[in-house]
Amino acid sequence: MLSSAAPASAPVSAATPRPAKPQRIMSMNMCNDLILLMLVPRERIASITSLAHDAAKVFMPGADEGVPINHGTAEEILLQRPDLILVSPWTMSAARRLGEQVDTPIVEVEEATDFASIRRAVRQIGAAVGEPARAEALVRRMDADLAALAARRPRKPLRVVVWSGDGSVPGRGTLTDAIITAAGGINIGARRQDGGYSSFGLEDLLAARPDAIMQGVGSYGAPSLHKANARHPVIDKLFAGRQIAYPDAGYACGLPQSAKAARDLARAFAAIPRGGPRW
Amino acid sequence: MSRLLWSSAWVLLLIVLLLSLAVGRVWLPPSALLDGLFAPRPTLGGLILTELRMPRTLLGLLAGVTLGVSGAVLQGLLRNPLAEPGLLGVSSGAALGAVIAIYFGLATIFPLATPVLGIIGALLAGLITFTIGRGGTLTMILAGAAVSGLAGAGLSLALNFAPSPYAAYEITSWLLGSLAERSWSQTLLATPFILAGLACLLSTLRALDALTLGEAQAASLGINLERTRLLGLFGTALAVGAATSVTGSIGFIGLLAPHLVRPFVGHQPSRVLLPSALFGAILLLAADIATRLIPTAVELKLGVLTSLAGTPFFFWLVLRLKRTSP
Repeated sequence: MLSSAAPASAPVSAATPRPAKPQRIMSMNMCNDLILLMLVPRERIASITSLAHDAAKVFMPGADEGVPINHGTAEEILLQRPDLILVSPWTMSAARRLGEQVDTPIVEVEEATDFASIRRAVRQIGAAVGEPARAEALVRRMDADLAALAARRPRKPLRVVVWSGDGSVPGRGTLTDAIITAAGGINIGARRQDGGYSSFGLEDLLAARPDAIMQGVGSYGAPSLHKANARHPVIDKLFAGRQIAYPDAGYACGLPQSAKAARDLARAFAAIPRGGPRW
Repeated sequence: MSRLLWSSAWVLLLIVLLLSLAVGRVWLPPSALLDGLFAPRPTLGGLILTELRMPRTLLGLLAGVTLGVSGAVLQGLLRNPLAEPGLLGVSSGAALGAVIAIYFGLATIFPLATPVLGIIGALLAGLITFTIGRGGTLTMILAGAAVSGLAGAGLSLALNFAPSPYAAYEITSWLLGSLAERSWSQTLLATPFILAGLACLLSTLRALDALTLGEAQAASLGINLERTRLLGLFGTALAVGAATSVTGSIGFIGLLAPHLVRPFVGHQPSRVLLPSALFGAILLLAADIATRLIPTAVELKLGVLTSLAGTPFFFWLVLRLKRTSP
């Protein structure tokens, strides 16, 4: 295992010939962290973000053991001296500028919000870290899962909405929407014109008459005002037996495993009683 | 207050109550709402009316009355035209208490924790302001500003430490207040405390009238000043604390309502109290209706509108004070 506190005097200059495969990869975004953990042995990872450990516990228990962490700050680039940095479009610009100054290649990976962009992200990271074959295998497995799912598509799709009680629902162009569609459901939030997360209150929810509501559980389950609203008594009264609990972690990042999340969701859809809500 | 004014105030209250039941994000004709009320099986109109808009309207009514009454009592008790739960830090203290109860899981174990901690927060904030601020209009307001600032900072700090990732995002709800999507259970949990607080506040009426003559004169009339102060403080803490633990802190209503009615009813506190309660409710419900009518992507917070309406009045009050005081 490589120590996170490599000597600051480690020689890094343009003159040093780079190895074909980067050996000290630093990832500054949680979703990239997870793809990276799937593609390269952990000895080649300089650090992943502090956020990755909870998600890794869900997707690949143990894979992140002993991998140093970073907090997405510029100083850590100097400290950890990576030979490749994976960033997202939102990575702090100070960190990027610094990466450019110390002459470390930076690869920006777009956030994956549907299955096409998951393929793109996995292949892009695979190419950057020198593991294109492994990336291709991950994509193939995901596409096989999706094809199996499409073959069993229900005749009458369920109309659902993700209800978290915070006044907004994921709509068009979100990963959640892509997973619902792949699972054979219709996301009511996506019908609204304003893409991304659109505002949606309890009155809208009742007026939309969804067949089922989806509620995320997991790390976001700590008590808050909007959790209290999500548990509004009218929800329990009207959607008894029509609530689908899904793991928040599975919907946070576009990953090859998102196809598995869609498969689990399709199973949950099948368990919802037919015939629509009762008002 | 003349009969005509009284009856028009009641009519106004009735209008805002009905509007509050009729207006929402989903537009339904009043007939659909009424039909739903008596339909044998649940209908959209019935559900929206009974489960969403009724508890919201009742909560708005109670919170408005609370703010109107506590503003009037505090102004009489402290003989300070700027006294009101928001400016004295009582509302922020209550919001801090409620935030601690909700975000750290106390409320899920024990639902009463929210109003109770709200009341404790209000009481502590009120005690500090009352103790430090004694001695004049200015010192009381300064003490109130200090306590408000402290409680507001504590609230942000608590929300940043809270385990929920949504907590920081919900700071605005607590600092600006909102009645959106509150349920019957939340409203009914706070109601007994609000009513008990209002009873305490109403019991100070005779003493407040006597206090207009000055403290020594009131004492010579047999008024127990300490008891009156305690009743005012506890009443405010109970009513404002419980209401704020559901709505978040709502500013300016408690300041505005008594001043609005004084030109019509005179300055005797016992005459100001009920009209002030009425106008507190009218103002709060009207502001809440406006949050639903103004087309924004995410519903406006109540405090945005009460502050927009309240601050010009505040300026006027400051200018008037400058003119009248030496």
